[in-house]
Order: sequence, then C-alpha cells, then structure tokens
Amino acid sequence: MMQYKNNPLTPHLQIYRWQISSLLSITHRIVGVINFTAISLICIWSVSLLLGQLNYEITKIFLQSFLGKFMIICLCWTFSFHILNEIRHLCWDLGYGFDLKTSKITGIIVIIGSFVLTVGTYLLGRNLI
Amino acid sequence: MNSSTKKWLFIKFSSAILIPLMLWFLVNLVSVYDSNYPEVVSFFATQPSKILFSIFIIFAFFFSSLTISEIFEDYIHDEKIKNAANKSVYIFAIIMPLITIIGIFNLTL
Repeated sequence: MMQYKNNPLTPHLQIYRWQISSLLSITHRIVGVINFTAISLICIWSVSLLLGQLNYEITKIFLQSFLGKFMIICLCWTFSFHILNEIRHLCWDLGYGFDLKTSKITGIIVIIGSFVLTVGTYLLGRNLI
Repeated sequence: MNSSTKKWLFIKFSSAILIPLMLWFLVNLVSVYDSNYPEVVSFFATQPSKILFSIFIIFAFFFSSLTISEIFEDYIHDEKIKNAANKSVYIFAIIMPLITIIGIFNLTL
C-alpha cells in the first residue's frame, strides 16, 4: 500500500523524455491556470469600477506602466496559446490529426501561431492594423 | 450517460463556445485596458459588450472549474483534500461570475 502511494502520478513529468506533445500538454495546463487567475483579476477589476474614478486611477497607473503593458502582452500570449491548442484538441476529438507526424506538425503550428496571434490581437486591439 | 462522459462533453462544448469569445475579449481588453474611466465603464456597461462579457465569464469559469478539477484528479493523492479543492473551485466558479455580472449590470455611465 505504501509503495502504491509513493508511485508517481500522471503525467510523469520527471520520468519521460521531453517531447513536443508533453511540452504542449503541460504548458496547456499551466497556461489554463494562469488564464483562470487572469480572468478572476479582470472580474475584480470590472467590479472595482463601481468604486468610482478615484479608485480606478490607481489601477490605471499600474496598467499604463511597463509592467502593466508587459502583463497584458503576456496575457495575449497565454490566451492565444490556449485558443490554438484548444482548437487542436477539438480537432483530435473529431478524429483529425491524431497520427504522430501530424500531431507534431500541429504542435509546432500552435507554438509559432500563438506568437503570431499575440502580435495580431495586440495590433488589432491598439488599432494599429 | 456516464458522469465522466457528461463532464467531457461539457468541457468540449464550453471550449468550442469559448474560442470566439476569448478572441473577441482579448482584442477588446487590449483596446481598453489603459483607457480613461468613462471609456472602460462604457465598455462594460453598454451593449453588446456587456452581454458578451457576461456570457464569456460564465463559460470561462464553467470550463475552468471542470478542467482544474481534472488537474486535481491527476496530482492530488488524498481523496478528502481533492474533494475539498474541487468544491472550493466549483463554489468560486459560481460566486465570481455572479458578483461580476451583478456589478457590471449596476455600472452606469
């Protein structure tokens, strides 16, 4: 029983050699938790608007700072990555792209695409394109 | 239908709805995050962004609570701690969007 309890749990991160599939899988989970935290903070931010303009100014100063802008750009990437990898998962669920070669190619597309989508959404949001 | 199958279907259904909503929200977040107070209030208090943001957070918290419970399933050994963690996430996923929606529906320009 003790031996069973000491067995490693999935996905055995410290045992298997890193591959694109495992890298994307664990990144998907970490990014999901980051997005959950970010959406919770955005909810708090939206509710805090009820406190009035003076309170809002403190948040605005932070969001206009370098760190604030950096956080928003990072959030663009975490959202972009999650969107693209979720599409990949939905395609798998429909029975497409499940063979090893295709899943490696789509994995690389997700990584590169997440950076492209980050730049695209940021430029679109700032009315630069 | 098996409860695990139901959970899987809920995850897939909500993720398919979330994809376009996330894209919409991301572009809008980038455009308003450093704006002045009236502009940000206008975004949350006027249609269609008010209703779209409400739908977005409902599905985001619904999806997140189900997927985070999958993470707990994989990494937490103790059944009691796992159940407590799951319940905490489910309660948070109900309360947080509820308070936010009530809040933004009380925002006035």
